[in-house]
Amino acid sequence: MSAVAEAPIPPQPASPIAGFVDRNFRWLLVWPSILVLLLIGLFPVIYSLFVSFQKINRRVTDTSFQGFYNYERLVTDERFWDSVINTGIMTGIALPLELVLGLLLARLFLEPFPGRQILIALIVTPSVIAPFVAGAMWRLMFDNIFGPINEIIRWIVGGNFDLLWLINDNPLIVYSAILTTEVWQWTPFMFLILLAAWSNVDKSQLEAAEIDGASGWRVFRRIIFPAIRPVVFVALTIRGLDLVRLFDIVYALTRGGPGNMTETISIYAYIKGFERFDISMTAAFAFVVIVSLSILVMVVLRRVGVTQ
Amino acid sequence: MSADGPRRFKTATAGRALLALAVTALFLFPVYWLFVMSIKTPEEVFATPPVWWPAEISLENFAVLFRDGDVRAIWNSAIVAGVSTVIAMFLGTIAAYSIARYRTGGDHLAIWIISQRMIPPIAIVFPIFLAFALIGLNDTYLGLIALYTAFNLPYVIWMMRGYVEDVPLELEESALVDGLDRWQTLLKVVFPMMRTGLFATSVFTFIFAWNEFIFALILTRTEVITFPVQVSHYFGPQQIFWAKIGAMSVLGTLPVFFTVAMAQKLLVRGISMGAVKG
Amino acid sequence: MARLAVQGLRKSYGKVEALKGVDLDIAEGEFCVFVGPSGCGKSTLLRSIAGLEEIDSGTIAIDGNVVNTLRPRDRNIAMVFQNYALYPYLSVFENIAFGLRARKVPDAEIRSRVANAAEMLGIEALLERMPRQLSGGQRQRVAIGRAVVRDALLFLFDEPLSNLDAQLRDGMRAEIKRLHQEIGKTTIYVTHDQIEAMTLADRIVLLRDGIIEQQGAPLDLFERPATRFVAGFLGSPQMNFVATHLDYVDGALTLIFDEGRRLPLDPARAAAFDKYRSRDVILGVRPEHIARANGGAPRKPADAPLNALIDLVQPTGTRTYAQFRLNETEITVELPSHTVERPGTTIELLFDMSRVILIDPQTQHVIPG
Repeated sequence: MSAVAEAPIPPQPASPIAGFVDRNFRWLLVWPSILVLLLIGLFPVIYSLFVSFQKINRRVTDTSFQGFYNYERLVTDERFWDSVINTGIMTGIALPLELVLGLLLARLFLEPFPGRQILIALIVTPSVIAPFVAGAMWRLMFDNIFGPINEIIRWIVGGNFDLLWLINDNPLIVYSAILTTEVWQWTPFMFLILLAAWSNVDKSQLEAAEIDGASGWRVFRRIIFPAIRPVVFVALTIRGLDLVRLFDIVYALTRGGPGNMTETISIYAYIKGFERFDISMTAAFAFVVIVSLSILVMVVLRRVGVTQ
Repeated sequence: MSADGPRRFKTATAGRALLALAVTALFLFPVYWLFVMSIKTPEEVFATPPVWWPAEISLENFAVLFRDGDVRAIWNSAIVAGVSTVIAMFLGTIAAYSIARYRTGGDHLAIWIISQRMIPPIAIVFPIFLAFALIGLNDTYLGLIALYTAFNLPYVIWMMRGYVEDVPLELEESALVDGLDRWQTLLKVVFPMMRTGLFATSVFTFIFAWNEFIFALILTRTEVITFPVQVSHYFGPQQIFWAKIGAMSVLGTLPVFFTVAMAQKLLVRGISMGAVKG
Repeated sequence: MARLAVQGLRKSYGKVEALKGVDLDIAEGEFCVFVGPSGCGKSTLLRSIAGLEEIDSGTIAIDGNVVNTLRPRDRNIAMVFQNYALYPYLSVFENIAFGLRARKVPDAEIRSRVANAAEMLGIEALLERMPRQLSGGQRQRVAIGRAVVRDALLFLFDEPLSNLDAQLRDGMRAEIKRLHQEIGKTTIYVTHDQIEAMTLADRIVLLRDGIIEQQGAPLDLFERPATRFVAGFLGSPQMNFVATHLDYVDGALTLIFDEGRRLPLDPARAAAFDKYRSRDVILGVRPEHIARANGGAPRKPADAPLNALIDLVQPTGTRTYAQFRLNETEITVELPSHTVERPGTTIELLFDMSRVILIDPQTQHVIPG
């Protein structure tokens, strides 16, 4: 460097490529993601739509236009509607149960006590385990020979107790086994979100209510719940959409059985596609699921407000 | 009354602590049971009534997995989850930056992206299976990595969008004036500012891919079987190999424990998809 | 050092027009302050010059080179931001060196230049610290250091002192002025604070609703405002405005108020206002241009005292602000301490008629004269 102070560099135009990148920067950044999503997200939808109007299965490959033949078969298929109802029942029971248990747990862990942080870290464990492994775990728990649950009941009733939980023809028993697993795995997830939201509730409001002498339940209903409602809504949305596509746990526990007693939408679609190879009907099935879920998602997302 | 106050307070706290401990134990019991299964000797595994505490720790069940080469599933899971996480994080973060900073594509693009996350895997896996069969991607790393990347992109974009918004715009503008171009600003200013966000989001992206079951079940056969699918293979039509299930599950769950423990403080924002800012 | 020329600059955000045609020339070495209320477009104008905003039409030229489409980095300017914009993960040294590293300046030179800048700003001892270990004032110095270390054509400051407390702000203001005198670079400074504008500027550019309302030397604007807005914006406490009527009384142009109160205009200026006779006008008078009549001030023959029933007294120590009503408007008067002790007293006030202004109520322009 020379000792003489040089004149500052005058403004200089960028190279054409740099200029192009600068002007189109925002689109250059999103296009890779959009392409990947189009390929994996949009292609299957279009494909399903296409094939659902043909007749392709294990025996015939007829690519001529079949009209709504496959859709007719789907809506007249009792097993399809059973799977919709089963999924609805599991979602309808598990979702409120997880919410209530999550709230109770959050209340228990709200105020500080020794060891609180460690227990919170431990209790979240079920939610990070692979769902299939969770299912396997509880299949072992419910096992009539190796499982501890029957053993515990034996201690309590003090006699011989040998219940086949997972292949029982009493739906009440099979369902309670599946729901136990589901609720066990995801209540901690609910709990963690609710605890965080609950801890963020404005303390001054709670103190004001306490001074006014409001009862605990009243404070919860009037102050706490309204404050955490947006978070509750998001948590229910995430869990609800997970439950609607429930697969792993049921696959591990019962594979939809006995019969089709615990068959969910996802399990039945799997059987149709990968055990029966009824390609066209599975395509119609997939398309119906995608469309109805998309509508549901859109409605939900509009309510949550994406921009928040 | 006044002397009674603090003591009652203490008793209440102790009561809550005990109750919390009991509930936690209840939630961890199935995990314990499977873990114990993995370290039992063959005799203990088949004992009736079941053995609650193994007399000694046996690593035989793990040794079997290594001997038979079943641990390859862990390796497969690591490659598939690791590589797809890196790619999804990179693509997703730059897209999230664009969407958060420039409102690229407006609300429509944001909604479309998040709705991709909510499509049930079972609805798209069938056409993908057929397409992969056509181009020879079934049972390959590439196929599964591509799928997991796409599957995790919406989550990454959604999460990183929030973290981008936390970066003060002034820092970027200052860098632009100081002589960086936009790309350099993104890499040298925005990325370092989002270190925690990048870390937390990769942890969850990794776990999602690691734990994923349906795609892996359908799109792998022998070569790139991942660990949950390997576990599912131990449920034979005649017999269930509980000891192997236990050992394999322990091997496959330990890395998840490890990563979650590292991301402890970022857990809430990660799993609530940003609904509660952690 | 560089000249800056802006012509016909327009910029809108959707339907909102932020800049509606701005023309501006800034000379080499000038210290120019953009001032105006929030939303007036001053920041947008500065950011357009920096290249952080894309402009819709017009030209921006530095030393005669049109830079409209150039990226910020290619314009060779330095900018200090309101919230300091320090990189929290870099030390003070690296923060200051950031722009030099971006421009691939050799290591040895970076060290000497950073050392120089640090010395100039008195932050040599802080170079190894991280930004979070600094006070607000120290952060601001580092931010300024990051700008001065660069060999830039223009210095831009975007409300750099608005996050500092009042005391620190006075100190930093003096320091920025001293720095400009030392370095002598063309500087543009944005603020909403009229005192900052008055004290720092060689030239004030007062913006309002996306256009330049008036520009010129600070005292020029203060003493000869072109519009009611300018007159009201500069000066603290604010200039008083009273709607009133102008007409001839006893052959002299006189402002006529309620309760029979009158103020004859300065005969030397009266001719200029003749065409406004028998019309409503707005009187503008600064609080410091009103004095108590029986306070011993020498009386000129033209001075006519005005009766004022004081209804509020605010002593500040050095001066006392008193208020009274005139034509349904509260008028603030700046008086020496102890001139009035309590509200409820009626005193006689003298207006310095050589310095009052008259405003056309239709155009809101100051009537020349």
